[in-house]
Amino acid sequence: MTAPTDRTTKRAWDTAQRSRDERLAAASRYARGKIVDAADTTKLLEAIVRPGDRVCLEGDNQKQADFLASRLAEVAPAIINNLHIVQSGIVLPEHLDLFALGIAKKLDFSYSGPQSVTLARALKGGKIELGAVHTYLELFSRYFIDLTPQVALTVARCADRDGNLYMGPNTEDSPVVIEATAFKQGIVVAQVNEVVDKVPRVDVAGDRVDFIVVTPSPFYVEPLFTRDPAQITETQILGAMLAIKGIYEPYGVKRLNHGIGFNTAAIELILPTFAERLGLKGKIATHFALNPHPTLIPAIENGWVEQIHSFGSEVGMDDYMRARPDIFFTGRDGSMSSNRMYCQAAGLYATDLFIGSTLQIDLQGNSSTFTRDRIAGFGGAPNMGSDPHGRRHASAPWLKAGREASGDGHGLPRGRKLVVQIVETFGEKLVPTFVENLDSIELAKALDLALPPVMIYGDDVTHIVTEEGIANLLLCRTPYEREQAIRGVAGYTDVGRARDRKAVEELRARKVIQRPEDLGIDVLDANRSLLAARSVKDLMHWSGDLYDPPRKFRNW
Amino acid sequence: MNDMPEARVSDSASWFLSTARERIAGLLDHGSFMEFLPPTERVQSPHLALFDLPVAFDDGVIVGRGRLAGRDVLIAAQEGQFMGGTFAEVSGAKLLGLIRAARDNDKLPRAILLLLDSGGVRLQEANAGELAVAEVMRAIMEARMAGVAVIALVGGRAGAFGGAGLTAATCSRIAISEQGRTGVSGPEVIETNKGVEEFDSKDKALVWSVTGGRNRRLIGGADAYAEDTVSGFREAASSLIDRAPTFDLATLQAEQQRLSARVERFANCSTAAEMWRVLGITAPQSIRDMNDAAFVKIVADVKEASHDGR
Repeated sequence: MTAPTDRTTKRAWDTAQRSRDERLAAASRYARGKIVDAADTTKLLEAIVRPGDRVCLEGDNQKQADFLASRLAEVAPAIINNLHIVQSGIVLPEHLDLFALGIAKKLDFSYSGPQSVTLARALKGGKIELGAVHTYLELFSRYFIDLTPQVALTVARCADRDGNLYMGPNTEDSPVVIEATAFKQGIVVAQVNEVVDKVPRVDVAGDRVDFIVVTPSPFYVEPLFTRDPAQITETQILGAMLAIKGIYEPYGVKRLNHGIGFNTAAIELILPTFAERLGLKGKIATHFALNPHPTLIPAIENGWVEQIHSFGSEVGMDDYMRARPDIFFTGRDGSMSSNRMYCQAAGLYATDLFIGSTLQIDLQGNSSTFTRDRIAGFGGAPNMGSDPHGRRHASAPWLKAGREASGDGHGLPRGRKLVVQIVETFGEKLVPTFVENLDSIELAKALDLALPPVMIYGDDVTHIVTEEGIANLLLCRTPYEREQAIRGVAGYTDVGRARDRKAVEELRARKVIQRPEDLGIDVLDANRSLLAARSVKDLMHWSGDLYDPPRKFRNW
Repeated sequence: MNDMPEARVSDSASWFLSTARERIAGLLDHGSFMEFLPPTERVQSPHLALFDLPVAFDDGVIVGRGRLAGRDVLIAAQEGQFMGGTFAEVSGAKLLGLIRAARDNDKLPRAILLLLDSGGVRLQEANAGELAVAEVMRAIMEARMAGVAVIALVGGRAGAFGGAGLTAATCSRIAISEQGRTGVSGPEVIETNKGVEEFDSKDKALVWSVTGGRNRRLIGGADAYAEDTVSGFREAASSLIDRAPTFDLATLQAEQQRLSARVERFANCSTAAEMWRVLGITAPQSIRDMNDAAFVKIVADVKEASHDGR
């Protein structure tokens, strides 16, 4: 085939580049080199952002480009409007102000945390056109396919004059956001705490960064993964004992991810006590895809943990991680390096178990943290809590779970990821965790969503742990057995009381359901003396005073 | 009377995390506690049902007598985890009855231990609660005049605020732990009334630096610093009973003088660390993270911490 020679129309192949050049020209009056005075930030944004742009305003799980967020909320809606916000975290009030002020219109996101109630209200009020709620990996992937940002507003601890950025332990989403934006002719603006002659290490190369703004005060980071051991209940400790003795031990789970919450914090804190007495050190919980949870410090100090790769960081853990490079991934400068995209992929493909909590579980085992008036988003849990069909390497726990799922042993050997939901039968304010129907189905109808938001699908869940025992869903052979296995650990909730007692007893005889006594656990042993640390201050002392707890946790 | 078997509570159990009953069981000599109006009597709040709220069979206050390291004592403990350990009609009357009994009957033990753990008055029974606080304060004064040593032990999760803070200040002596907090207006109350700029109640480091045990001990707001264990409070309580001042005009004048001097001395301080510097502590920033032993050493050199008032 030969190329056409008589082209009648001449297509321009560099429109994005031209648009970028125009924007840079308009912005040049506010910049000296790459540096922009903080006072000119709003004008800078008016020069580089165009109506209808896709904008990523990080917006991460922990760190926030808070200064750029408040300046973007100050642009004139007459000049800049109809923005399409594409970022993982809707965390700051300003993120939603953009919609109330008429600056932004469409939203694709992943996690909303503290703004979940306001977001639900804004959606119901028709202020926001919602694209979809994503998992992290899913949203990051779409940055390269159909949601590539025209403008990325990022945040770093410091920059040099060439725009090289140092993000330190809170690298988080930035590398993927900037990669997608910069290489598709977009514009990258970074807010930094300071400009230095030489950054401690280059987390993002300067030629991907167009403008630097030094902010009047350091950026905000939420200590999202700190759980005060003082608030862990005996019920949560019982759940942790069940998980260790009923799942970690028999499957020999070494590579894993812990979801956020007090249930998993309890597991971390009884590794050096309960699990140590069971002789499990070195046999379970050695390799983690995990944020640097302060509650893991005692297990690390006692030699339980071999290595941890992290999605993000945690406030106060910098010095501790720097002093434990054998455990954490650290740069040549000594500080930890996180990367949400890498760690999500690692948690999806290279761990054998995910364990996490949730707000609601239905009779099929589907779970959700969305309720009628709360859109919490997904974050990473749906990826961590799913069986990756693209996995091809074997491991003992993965094969054992696969054998249990296949039952008869015929057909090709397959593996299964262990996906464990650990909950109390009644959650906060005595709201039942087990329900006939998820609230999120109602919510999907009310908001006209194409897909009811489900955090973890029932067919991915392998075990449910409550204070009443463990239901092993891998061993259920019919939908009825599955339903009764769930009812059989649902305690005194309506769902639990409606169990078929005979069926539940049969399931128990087959070890589909295991009660604490079936596992040799005395519920009276579930008390706080099992916790290796009982307060935040204990954690600090375990760390040799390297852990510097955030002010809101310093109750001394 | 209470004939339920008493659970053993270990000496190293955290006072902060223990329940009121665990604190009593651990503090007193094993088997010596005798409860007045135990839960089996169901002397409980007549008001909470109106609000569709659960009651406690002891209304959140336990009163009785027992032995502390061999010495006869009366004892009262507030359960901070029941409605914030609040002063209310029934719980207030139990406390008041105990103190008045000591005032009026010199056959009873000459020491009362008040294990305070309360945010103040129970709002659902506010009038009765306020009256109870006033009556308790008066009864403590009268009991002290009759020669009874009244010792406040502060180290629970609710702290000792509002009426409990006032009650503590009325006692002969106060023992506090690092995690203990005391004051009149609680952090949330100050924030609500004066704004978050004045006092951020969620900033625990700030809250504890002002109201917490270490600051209270350093500026003489408490007379003994206890390790956060059952045995720590037992030692502190025993030594304070021995050191309880006579309640007379001289003591009151000494107290007045001490408090006036404190107001003057710290007038220009806007943070706890500044006060600690005024007290002559060379590295005030290190006060909070150091261990108990190091802190006790520093307290020994601070003049304000020991006094002849109260």
